[in-house]
Amino acid sequence: MSAVLHAHPESGPALGVAGPDKTRRVLSEAGMRGRWWRFVLILAITAIVLVPIMVTVVLALTPGPNSTATGLTLENITGVFSKTLAGTWLTNSLITTLSTVIVSVAVAAPAGYVLSRGRSKAVSGYSLLLFVMQSLPIITSVVPLFILFAGLGLVDNLLGLIIIYVGSTMTVATWMMAAYFDSIPVSLEEASWIDGCSVFGSFTKVVLRNSLPGILSTAIFAFLLAWNDYLVAIVFLRSNEIFTLPVGVQSFFQQNMTDWSGVMALAVVMMLPPIIVFATLNRYFSVGGIGGSLAGR
Amino acid sequence: MNVKSEASRNFSRRGFLGLTAAAAAVPLLAACGGGSSSSSSAGGAIKFWDMPWGTPAYNDAAKKLAESYVPTGSNGKASYQIIQWNNFYQTFSSAIASKTGPAVSTGGGFQAFQFEQQGQIAYADKVIDALKKNGQFDDFLPGVLEPFKTDKGYVAVPWQLDMRPLWYRKSLFDQAGVAVPTDWPSLLEAGKKLKSIGAVGFATGSGAGNNIGNHLMIMMMINNGGGVFTKDGQLDVMNDRNVEAIEFLLELVSNGVIDPAAVSYTTDNLDAQWKNKKAAFGMYVLGVPQRVGDTSGDLLVASPMAGPHGDKAALVFPNNIMMYKNTPSQESSEAFLTYYMGQLKSLWQQKLMNGLPVFKSITEIPEFAGDPNNVKIVKEYQPIAKTFAAQGTSLNANLAVLDGGQALNQFSQTILTGKTDAKSALQAFKTGLESVIKK
Amino acid sequence: MSSTTAPSGLARARRGLAPGGPGGGSRNRTDGLNRKSKLSGQTRRTFFWLLLPSIVLLVLINGYPLIYAGVQATHDGSLIDTGNFVGVDNFATVLSSPAFWKAAQFTLWFTIVGVFGSWLVGLGLALLLRTKIPAGGTFKVLLLLPWVVPIVVSSTAWNWLVATPDSLIPSIFRNLGLGTPLFLADPHLAAVMVMVFKVWVSFPFMMMMISAALASVDTTVYEAASMDGASKWQQFTQITLPMIARSTYISWILMTIFCVNDFPTIYLLTGGGPVDATTSLVVLAYRSVFQDFQTGPGVAIAFLMTLTLVVVSVFLYRQIRKSSVE
Repeated sequence: MSAVLHAHPESGPALGVAGPDKTRRVLSEAGMRGRWWRFVLILAITAIVLVPIMVTVVLALTPGPNSTATGLTLENITGVFSKTLAGTWLTNSLITTLSTVIVSVAVAAPAGYVLSRGRSKAVSGYSLLLFVMQSLPIITSVVPLFILFAGLGLVDNLLGLIIIYVGSTMTVATWMMAAYFDSIPVSLEEASWIDGCSVFGSFTKVVLRNSLPGILSTAIFAFLLAWNDYLVAIVFLRSNEIFTLPVGVQSFFQQNMTDWSGVMALAVVMMLPPIIVFATLNRYFSVGGIGGSLAGR
Repeated sequence: MNVKSEASRNFSRRGFLGLTAAAAAVPLLAACGGGSSSSSSAGGAIKFWDMPWGTPAYNDAAKKLAESYVPTGSNGKASYQIIQWNNFYQTFSSAIASKTGPAVSTGGGFQAFQFEQQGQIAYADKVIDALKKNGQFDDFLPGVLEPFKTDKGYVAVPWQLDMRPLWYRKSLFDQAGVAVPTDWPSLLEAGKKLKSIGAVGFATGSGAGNNIGNHLMIMMMINNGGGVFTKDGQLDVMNDRNVEAIEFLLELVSNGVIDPAAVSYTTDNLDAQWKNKKAAFGMYVLGVPQRVGDTSGDLLVASPMAGPHGDKAALVFPNNIMMYKNTPSQESSEAFLTYYMGQLKSLWQQKLMNGLPVFKSITEIPEFAGDPNNVKIVKEYQPIAKTFAAQGTSLNANLAVLDGGQALNQFSQTILTGKTDAKSALQAFKTGLESVIKK
Repeated sequence: MSSTTAPSGLARARRGLAPGGPGGGSRNRTDGLNRKSKLSGQTRRTFFWLLLPSIVLLVLINGYPLIYAGVQATHDGSLIDTGNFVGVDNFATVLSSPAFWKAAQFTLWFTIVGVFGSWLVGLGLALLLRTKIPAGGTFKVLLLLPWVVPIVVSSTAWNWLVATPDSLIPSIFRNLGLGTPLFLADPHLAAVMVMVFKVWVSFPFMMMMISAALASVDTTVYEAASMDGASKWQQFTQITLPMIARSTYISWILMTIFCVNDFPTIYLLTGGGPVDATTSLVVLAYRSVFQDFQTGPGVAIAFLMTLTLVVVSVFLYRQIRKSSVE
């Protein structure tokens, strides 16, 4: 398989890595100086861009109004875990988000494959329909969906939430997957058909196996959407022990009043998993992440 | 709801059923549909939905009250559910529309009247009768119950009062060498002096999610004997008293007594102003010292101001508990609500409430009366308090539109930016209200 | 040259395929369509099963609410009651209200600034991060944070920075002798502020898209170009931009939808104020439905918005299709 991939470097990781390597070898002294200037520049930009985030972190570490601690403290963060169900909410958020990501990709990848390879009027019409459907703002969908899901017993239930998230990420995700499949040469599949693979077999065994960057970028899109949503979750979830983190954050908003140290502490907890995901997957972005996968469309 | 809409309602419900059946037939969903749904209540239990009226400790205590209810006879027990403030109207509406709503609930100030208009509310006359029998009826503070009495019956039962008192920071007045305002002219004069020491003479705000500015507009109108509704509930925006009140507010703005950035202030910005000794005087919510963490005694309730014609009035939002028609048993709902009204005292005893009690006996308990600010509000504000209905005596669904709607918000933001005159602003307000208010 | 092999490889794949057919080498699009008609029943069935889950979800989660919204938009009911059929009355009411047009105008500006502002910032950062920089990967992750932080939190942080005359940023302006701007109280500044906030939230998405597209550009092309005497600017406009063009179109379309449909960014920072200065169509729709309890007109606003969005999207989509056929 890898031999085939290397024959088509535009779709694989080989080239993206090779380029910078070559550049590094020819770096001159001026290049080195430029490197440090750019470092200072990006450092300054990052510092400015992150000021609001730093405000959040500082507020999360500032002792609350009824605290005896001075300076910065972790007590707000430990506090949300001991005084609220933050641990459960974190688990729920992870379950919901990861399920959404997995199902969303599982639905979007086959559909994207058909969109990419199928050329009938019906298929391109469907492609456009997907596109059109996501234009309706979610706030108009919540009430009808609630009524429907209440009939199905999917209210106050993470499963119901997952289905809605999959539904709302699926449109863009299908598009993203289709775009990525476009960049995979048809010759790969043709080779497998000669070996006697079915369409489905070549899709799973050949195409999917070479689509990791596309799958990852689609996954990240779905991850962030599901991870941060509260407009849907707050209507669909009732029980404290079934809350996701964004709904949990809402429980710090009392009548006319907000416990900001709690909100900020939980916000920091909320930031960590996506950061970990991004940091872990960082190297894939440089070899054709979201943009790469969409670029082919 | 009227007869005509009954037909279309049935039509749409059939539509839902059809789609629901179709959805259930889809294998993916059918496989998933087996998942447990914790929202389905135990047989006969009364679903009681409550809002975060205070800290999480409040909800814990209220939950304990609801769950320790021991029903008599065939009545059902009660289950307790917190509903977050964010998007709560959507939460209630979607639940009611899908018949998974509560049997009894607290909620937004005018929510009961909105749902009554849509035929979802069970009238509380029998609860009132029960309260008459157990003596609690006579314990209600004067005037508390009247707003809920309509031709068809009691729409809800009040349980706490959300007042909008005037607060002041004593040290700032000492520093500026002025007396606390007792009427409008003295407010203007004090405001100018306070401004010279860098303090805000009339703190308010109308930023994202902040209703205080809106409430201030109405408060100043009724403080001058005006308001936007007449005695019989007719819209009356352009009256002379209103014009006078708004002209005065514009004068405060142009003199810098109202902060030029007030239009964008959230409640957090306002809290910060009170906390950081920037705000000297202003209309705000109950319990400001606790709210901003300054209980040194420097933050005090001022006496109500007199308007230019000698009128005195305060603004109150009577929060209430309502019952819904969709209940396992109406008797059970009534029995639970009657029980719950009898348990309210313990919430004030535990100092969990921001609102004022509706029962005289609770205003006398040491945990409440120990705070001089509380005593002053009950003594001086409660007797002159008026609701959003202004000169009208009973509440109605239109007040919800007035309270949270765009017309009032737009109006108060226009006034707070000061770039208008009273009459044209009121005219625009009137037009805006007419387009959304049902006659 | 890889700069030409990449698109032709993509175009080849894009032309579609049919199992069993002779290789996909033909450049003729109609030929592709002809071959499609020869799709075996087996393949068509496989395609159907592959699409089915997405069709079900589309109908349920996207289609059903759309129909429901259509019913609401033509009735005078509430969230609970459908009410009476009123035909296009709600649309007429909405279209004749100045508030709608004001919000439409703001939405347009908000979208234009949101899309191109975040694109420009994202492009600049992507180009910068593409060069060798110590700890470049760390910066890349850090710069994604604005996209990751929940809006309810970042809007509070922004409020804290700009809302009052004593907030950090107005204080800096004052100390620089530039007066004390009231960023959220002045209607014009507030409009600018939500747009800046939106760009701040959205540029990481653009940065990620462009970074990835840039990664597939072969750097040897630049070496060859600079040997031919092409300036940096020429290299940028003639090599870089064309190479990321497709991903740029896609990101513009997606960001247009994200901007037009954006509710929390505006609502949590300004609530649509002061005096409607930052009220977009979604905010207007939300406030009509949930604060004025005018369900019909509110949903009609959302509908009109969706309709416009669809028209714009379809137009842009066609453009992409055209450019992809070459």
